[in-house]
Amino acid sequence: MILVWGSRTDSPVASVLDALAARGAEVCHIDESTLATMGYDIVFGPSPEGWIEPAGRRIAIDDLRGAYLRPGNLAAGPARSAGMTLLALASNMRGTIVNRPAAGRSNASKPYQLGLITQAGLEVPDTLVTTDPAAARAFLLEHHRLVYKSLSGIRSIVAILDAADEARLDGVRTGPVQLQAYVQGLDVRVHVVGERCFACSVRSAAADYRYAGTAGAAAELSAFELPETVGRRIVALVRGMDLQVAGVDLRCTPDGSWICFEVNPSPGFPWYEDATGHPIAEAIANALAS
Amino acid sequence: MIVVVGSRHDPVAADLIALWPQAALCSAEDLVSPGWVWRHGRPASRSWIVDAKPIRDEDVTGVFIRRSSVYAEELATTHPADRSFLAAEAHAFLSFVLATTSARVVNPVIGGAFGEEALRPERWTAVASEMGIPVRPVRVTSEARRRAGYRTYEVEVVGSEVFGKGPARVLDGALRLAGKLDMAWGVLLFDTRHRLVAATGAQRPGEQATAALRRLLEA
Repeated sequence: MILVWGSRTDSPVASVLDALAARGAEVCHIDESTLATMGYDIVFGPSPEGWIEPAGRRIAIDDLRGAYLRPGNLAAGPARSAGMTLLALASNMRGTIVNRPAAGRSNASKPYQLGLITQAGLEVPDTLVTTDPAAARAFLLEHHRLVYKSLSGIRSIVAILDAADEARLDGVRTGPVQLQAYVQGLDVRVHVVGERCFACSVRSAAADYRYAGTAGAAAELSAFELPETVGRRIVALVRGMDLQVAGVDLRCTPDGSWICFEVNPSPGFPWYEDATGHPIAEAIANALAS
Repeated sequence: MIVVVGSRHDPVAADLIALWPQAALCSAEDLVSPGWVWRHGRPASRSWIVDAKPIRDEDVTGVFIRRSSVYAEELATTHPADRSFLAAEAHAFLSFVLATTSARVVNPVIGGAFGEEALRPERWTAVASEMGIPVRPVRVTSEARRRAGYRTYEVEVVGSEVFGKGPARVLDGALRLAGKLDMAWGVLLFDTRHRLVAATGAQRPGEQATAALRRLLEA
């Protein structure tokens, strides 16, 4: 049996549920409404034993073979306790877990992640985190064009800074700001599922193609053939982070270099899947049920 | 110098700073103060803000972590609407700093997490089990039940030193386990059957451990 934790209104969860159904896999689906009334009794030893009982259906921990997790924010009270128990279970149980809670922690610090990306042999953009306006100005002078984005896992809209924005850099005094050298080139999002890569190129005039519509631009997504060496490095990076599934953001520069920006441990893949026809949900379902 | 990363409201952090000459606190407020410079892959240019003063990273010999997160409530001087975001950003920044400083960090960042978050139960239970150290099972239940009390004793580890009153095999096991966990300091709790109950870095270091930590962090 496969445990799926998340709301069906969340498109990745819906896609994985549909793919598991198409495969005929037995599924235990837990959403926020079931969480508040879920019973559980688990003994955490060398491997967890016991049961969970979502919506009155008792399931032995031994029967769980894998789990797909995309929980929302946990509400206070019994739902929170049940959610914390499920996170502990997902951290300890055997099987394919997409993804283990600890494996996704690096997403909470994008600059920390840069170190992992570099260790995997991939290039990253020159990056400065600062609260010092003079250091920010010197970095802008060095690169002429910068992007700034959040350091944490909280989603932000990537924005561009150039010489005309120099005065705005005084604002870095109020808290740490991540500045990166602007990298020109073609955006490529790679979804990794186990050893498989699904690459999608994105052509857009917007600084952040995810918000192309609000910037009055378009985003054109196409299936992309990734060079084998880059694919191998990305798979090794994701495996090294103990992730089964990830969305990796890269840019291919005009001279053919590959720059890696970040690794998303809980990617919203259906948008890319719909545009390219890549069977990402099916691959996730296969990994979970294998 | 030694930097203690913690809260202004943490009495343990304050006591350690009082006991360790040339130690100072890097607080949540410091993390959002002007003057930080931290560039990926460029150690020479890095600068902290510690107790409101700029400190070059090369002048820091050791960092002692007394927190697992940066909380919005700590950023009382910032606009309330910005606090949650700013706390998440400060946390992300701190993770980057602790993982890349040239100083010795006790305990090091693991997988992007620091403090108790880096010493997760699934980590120490798995490592202890692999090493043959018995682990006391933990029952988590939604059912109403009587909780059975049990007694514990503590073993404290600092680098290659171990403090505490337990059988020699437990002390030796504690030292080896701490090494495998990359835990330069921590307290290991055992029950009276010598089964591991917890591994934590959140407790107040004992007197001997405080002195040993100073030696470790100043080296």
